Amino acid sequence: MVNVAIFDYGAGNIFSLKNSLEQAGASVDVITSFDQPNVYSGLLLPGVGNFDPAIKSINENSKTQFHDFVKENTPVLGICLGMEMFFEKSEEGVEKGFNVIDGEIIVLPSTMKVPHMGWNNLEIKKPGIILDGVDNGSWVYFVHSYRAKPKFDDVITAESDYGIKVPAVVEKNNFFGTQFHPEKSQTNGLLLLRNFLQDL
Amino acid sequence: MLKKRVIFTLLYDSGSFMLSRNFRLQRVGKLDWLQKNYNFSQIAFSIDELVVLDVSRNERDEEKFCHHVRSLNDSCFVPIAAGGGVRTLDQVRTLLQNGADKVVVNTLLSEDPEVVREISIQYGRQCIVAAVDVKEVNGEFSVWTENGTVQQQIGLAQWLEDLQSFPIGEIYLNSIDRDGTGQGFHIELLDCLPVQAEIPLILAGGAGIPSHLGEGLKNSRADAVATAHLFNFVGNGLQKARIELLDEGFDLARWDVQLANSLEEVLA
Repeated sequence: MVNVAIFDYGAGNIFSLKNSLEQAGASVDVITSFDQPNVYSGLLLPGVGNFDPAIKSINENSKTQFHDFVKENTPVLGICLGMEMFFEKSEEGVEKGFNVIDGEIIVLPSTMKVPHMGWNNLEIKKPGIILDGVDNGSWVYFVHSYRAKPKFDDVITAESDYGIKVPAVVEKNNFFGTQFHPEKSQTNGLLLLRNFLQDL
Repeated sequence: MLKKRVIFTLLYDSGSFMLSRNFRLQRVGKLDWLQKNYNFSQIAFSIDELVVLDVSRNERDEEKFCHHVRSLNDSCFVPIAAGGGVRTLDQVRTLLQNGADKVVVNTLLSEDPEVVREISIQYGRQCIVAAVDVKEVNGEFSVWTENGTVQQQIGLAQWLEDLQSFPIGEIYLNSIDRDGTGQGFHIELLDCLPVQAEIPLILAGGAGIPSHLGEGLKNSRADAVATAHLFNFVGNGLQKARIELLDEGFDLARWDVQLANSLEEVLA
């Protein structure tokens, strides 16, 4: 059985994610610090909260840096805020992100209702590991007020249309991110989580 | 583009799920009643979200309520907003740790907006659903709190305008007059929204048949509609309502039930 860790930075519902991963066949530990041996095949950064408190909670609870924890190329799945932390910085706060993907997080356009909340469909741009078997146009569940603006578009494997094209799935090396919530996206989400686990 | 949403609201009081009419409660059944009368493994294909409210008229047992939220989360993969009596950041944390994705607040908005701000700083504004209960009094729409027992001085239009500047993710606009009557939504409530309303809106109170849900969804100011009636859509009623709405061309998310079943087999 694949053993993965969810990093709980005290920002919301990790229960659904844990539940979905277990349904998809993984054993799941919830960790609150990186000061422990990384015995995991994969790491998940879950998705609810605010940029600065989340980053601070990670930096202040661990002497070990995120980069050191995943230095053996541990696959990481960042969900929503978890994905946003992959980038250099966010307009939501002043803290620095992990900077494993070039680019920044910016607020959604004011012409649209913010947050972007509800079901929207995926426009698949190119094949990706976690998108395997996910159909173009599949419904997934979004709840977010900010979006990724990668420096290079080639990290975007799927987008969603919300007035502008919102990067919905990003992949770079061992880092996978979804702006939407796979753990709340019914079958399509479970499929995606299963893909992540199978790649471990 | 973003789809409109159909939301199922469960009203909870001291271990049971309730039928409400004009905010007067009648006990219907416990969790097993729900699971028996609504096919819970399939319900996720009929609704977009669940709202679960602890409307206990006597003292609330938060631990027991959280247990129910967890059980609901276990049995269906849809976003869950939970609330009822939420006054502190600690209560929010507890609900989120028990499987809620969002919290519903009402009285807190007028009583202690600072706590609402703290919740948004900690968890983001998308996490907060602002419930607004409305009753018509002498031809005016007035705002009520504390399970519809306390009238606020502010009028509906002013309150909806004020809320636009709160750090909240959406507004759950509920008609006490229509609640549980099955007469259809009080669509006129939407006229009280400011022209430039930017916060997503859920319309609740009064849906009795699928076409009522359609009337709400048709209105450009409503982003979602909700029903809390435990009998109007019982059995496969929610599923039938969704099919009917989709057939009429309403822009709702469609899920691949076949894929779900095949995935379930693979995972089993």
